[in-house]
Amino acid sequence: MDVALLQGRGLSKRFGGVQALEEVDFEVQAGTIVGLIGPNGAGKTTLFNIVAGTFPPSSGVVLFGGRTITGMPAFRICRQGIARTFQVTRPFGEMTCLENVAVAAVNRHPGCPKEQWMTLARESLAAVGLEALKDTAAKHLNVVQKKRLEIARSLATEPTLLMLDEVLGGLNTQEIQEAIGFIRRLRDDRGLTVFWIEHVMGAIMQATEKVIVLDQGRVLTVGPPREVVADERVIHAYLGD
Amino acid sequence: MDMRMTKNRWLLAAGLVAFALLPWGLGVYHQHIMIVSLFYVMMAASWNLLAGYTGQVSFGHAAFAGIGAYASGILAAKAGVNPWVGVAAGTLLAAIFGFLVGILCLKLGGIYLSLTTLGFSEILHIIINNEYEITRGTMGLQVPGLLSEYSKLAYFYIFLAGALLTLGVVYRLIHSDLGLNFRAVQNDERAAASLGVDVVKVRVLAFTVSSALAGMAGALYGHYLLLITPQIPSLDQQFLVLSMTVIGGMGSFVGPVIGAFGLEILSEYIRAYGEYHVLAFGLVALAVARFAPRGMVGIFRSVWERRRQAAVHPSLPAESP
Ligand SMILES: Nc1ncnc2c1ncn2[C@@H]1O[C@H](COP(=O)(O)OP(=O)(O)OP(=O)(O)O)[C@@H](O)[C@H]1O
Ligand SMILES: [Mg+2]
Repeated sequence: MDVALLQGRGLSKRFGGVQALEEVDFEVQAGTIVGLIGPNGAGKTTLFNIVAGTFPPSSGVVLFGGRTITGMPAFRICRQGIARTFQVTRPFGEMTCLENVAVAAVNRHPGCPKEQWMTLARESLAAVGLEALKDTAAKHLNVVQKKRLEIARSLATEPTLLMLDEVLGGLNTQEIQEAIGFIRRLRDDRGLTVFWIEHVMGAIMQATEKVIVLDQGRVLTVGPPREVVADERVIHAYLGD
Repeated sequence: MDMRMTKNRWLLAAGLVAFALLPWGLGVYHQHIMIVSLFYVMMAASWNLLAGYTGQVSFGHAAFAGIGAYASGILAAKAGVNPWVGVAAGTLLAAIFGFLVGILCLKLGGIYLSLTTLGFSEILHIIINNEYEITRGTMGLQVPGLLSEYSKLAYFYIFLAGALLTLGVVYRLIHSDLGLNFRAVQNDERAAASLGVDVVKVRVLAFTVSSALAGMAGALYGHYLLLITPQIPSLDQQFLVLSMTVIGGMGSFVGPVIGAFGLEILSEYIRAYGEYHVLAFGLVALAVARFAPRGMVGIFRSVWERRRQAAVHPSLPAESP
């Protein structure tokens, strides 16, 4: 089915003199894993920030499930079912790992009995393999563990759409394979839609059905991963002139 | 685990009973110190809710106590309203002002929030001084007491009830779902919002509740002193409350209680050497904030942890962390 769960129409974003995004159109179909790639500074994280409501676009609209969510505050967008991880992780440093995840869980089930959201928090933490560190303050985690915590928190919001911003950094080859398996299972078993920024090209090739390539704030091309990486313009954008 | 919990609960109850009986064996002067200490427990614990748990370092807390005190005092002195009704009205008015200032400060963080609340406190001061007809300015407004017969012992129990109520409200809040949200907002507002936390609501709620509690404390205090002066909403008072919380342990539940009693008792002794004690406390608080950000509670805790570890691993020297 070609249902676009998430759509961007003519999205532009300007930061002072920098045109971070310019007239970007894109679609993420429900139940797919879509990659978002492009060289450094292409505007990938900016696009995530706009979708997640961190800041509004200068112009353009974002549609989620066919309804506009442009300019909604971040917490409302989260409650609509969009979760995102931060490229530069943002743990609640003074809180334990379990508390970090519990924040997400309790706001998913406000007013519900504590056991209910604590179970969700524990399950989410276990899903990323951090249960042994549940009582450790998040500031003591290493970079890789912090990225896992980001994912656990996102899962505890019980999203329909999960947006991952470079979660494979710092992993070795075997760990990358495990992570790819994990993300695919999120889609296959839980039916999540995944929108995924990643610099590790091998992962994008293996896991995604579709890749959107951004370059200097514009969509360079969209297509299946094999076609995209073979595209002259993409190679050019990555390697420079 | 459960055994220890019940044991702790019994210890707490026993300590509380002992404390409640203490003033019977004290003279009027020491009873006064205990009442004032309990006033500062209310002030420091409610300021801690705002500053320690949501990271909003407000300099307007004494001002909210002033709103409570003047509202209740004016109603009782000028309109003949029952002082207890006045206390309720003062609490409510402080809550309303807290709500409004909270909204005003929403987009502000850090030093800007502190400056805005400082400005609010100065404006209140100017109003109090200028509206001499109503407030009696620095001369002070005479107000009736809470009881038909003045009794320090009775005031002690009223203030004890007020302090327990304040601590109860703070405890309930920080141990509810809201407490998680408070701490998340304090740690990282943007991450909190991305996980569904309504940051605006959390911050305004903390401001409102904290201000209401300060208003109640101020109103009770006014009816105890029987004379309301601009000293209640003064910056001196603000920095004293800040020092108590920081030195006791900001962001910890018992920290403000320890700080309030410790500094109030201490200031009674050093007051003899001049009125510089608030300045001295402020300097100590600065040093504590810099070198032991968890205050006395943090220091006790780490010493206790070390001793426990030394007991578990007797081979380790007690000094090693
Ligand atoms: N909050 C901001 N304020 C000002 N400029 C910004 C902001 N966020 C991003 N930019 C600028 O916008 C451009 C796009 O940045 P963005 O972070 O979206 O790139 P990216 O594709 O995620 O890059 P990377 O692969 O390095 O993460 C860059 O020039 C960046 O400096
Ligand atoms: Mg980026």
